[in-house]
Amino acid sequence: MKFLRQLAEVTLVVAVVVVAGLAWARFGASTLGGGPRGPGKVVTVSGKLLKGLPPGTEVAVRPGPHGPVIVSEGSGGGMNLGLDSMFQAVNLPVLRHTLEIEAGVIAAVVILDIARRRLRRFLRARRRQAGGSVD
Amino acid sequence: MTSQLRAAPGAGRRRRIAARTRLDFWFDAALLAAYTLAYSYGFTGIGIHEWLGLGIGLALLIHLTLHWDWVIRTTGRLLRPRGPDKLIWLVNLALLIAMTLCVLSGILISRVALPYLGINLTRIGPFWSRAHTLTAEVTLGLVPVHVALRWRWIVRIGRRLLTSPRAGRSR
Repeated sequence: MKFLRQLAEVTLVVAVVVVAGLAWARFGASTLGGGPRGPGKVVTVSGKLLKGLPPGTEVAVRPGPHGPVIVSEGSGGGMNLGLDSMFQAVNLPVLRHTLEIEAGVIAAVVILDIARRRLRRFLRARRRQAGGSVD
Repeated sequence: MTSQLRAAPGAGRRRRIAARTRLDFWFDAALLAAYTLAYSYGFTGIGIHEWLGLGIGLALLIHLTLHWDWVIRTTGRLLRPRGPDKLIWLVNLALLIAMTLCVLSGILISRVALPYLGINLTRIGPFWSRAHTLTAEVTLGLVPVHVALRWRWIVRIGRRLLTSPRAGRSR
């Protein structure tokens, strides 16, 4: 019961953010200028361009951190989970790039946190020594 | 984010990890893995990207609900001069906004998942594509910070969970 009540509260908070987002789109859309990274260029493969992709498959060529990245866009009908592009070795650097960014940020925060705690401990110890308190 | 680590009475050093803590740890780990995959759009392809994004949207509601007590408690203490977790609260608020807008814009520009569910949104301008890119990049900065600010809890619980009971006994 408590979980459902809290879920309702969370949903309400999320709904507020959604409404704020819709208001942003309605009244302040011009604040979001077009950047260099758009949705990508979608092309239809006429022949067998990529290994594992049938002819007629739509693929998107998007700029990536390590050159253009080919993304399977599906071939129209039915549900296509896009597994094909997952097996393109050329796309592995995209995942590696994400992992590198995450690992880099985590490492930076952890190092800063350790440094902050050590500095605080050092300053506390110095204050204690200067004050001549117990310990 | 942290949960209580309950010690079994008289258990000494070998403390039992509460089921809720296990749930938090594995749920959050799965969420991080799903987010990493979903962000790597070029790797997963649009189908997995969109379905994962929808799943992450639902999982975020559950994640937030599981930690709602912390949100209420910390929000109440924000005005105290030396209230704890202020930075974490701010990061989490920014992440909530960015992630919600990212999922919302992703739903609006969906080309696989929503049409498959029979929903075809028309008249969606380029604003939402740009918003999706922007918010996704913001979340990529904030998610690792959100994780790293709890690194002590993650290391403590992870070490206990990933160490086999046999290894724990031999110590």
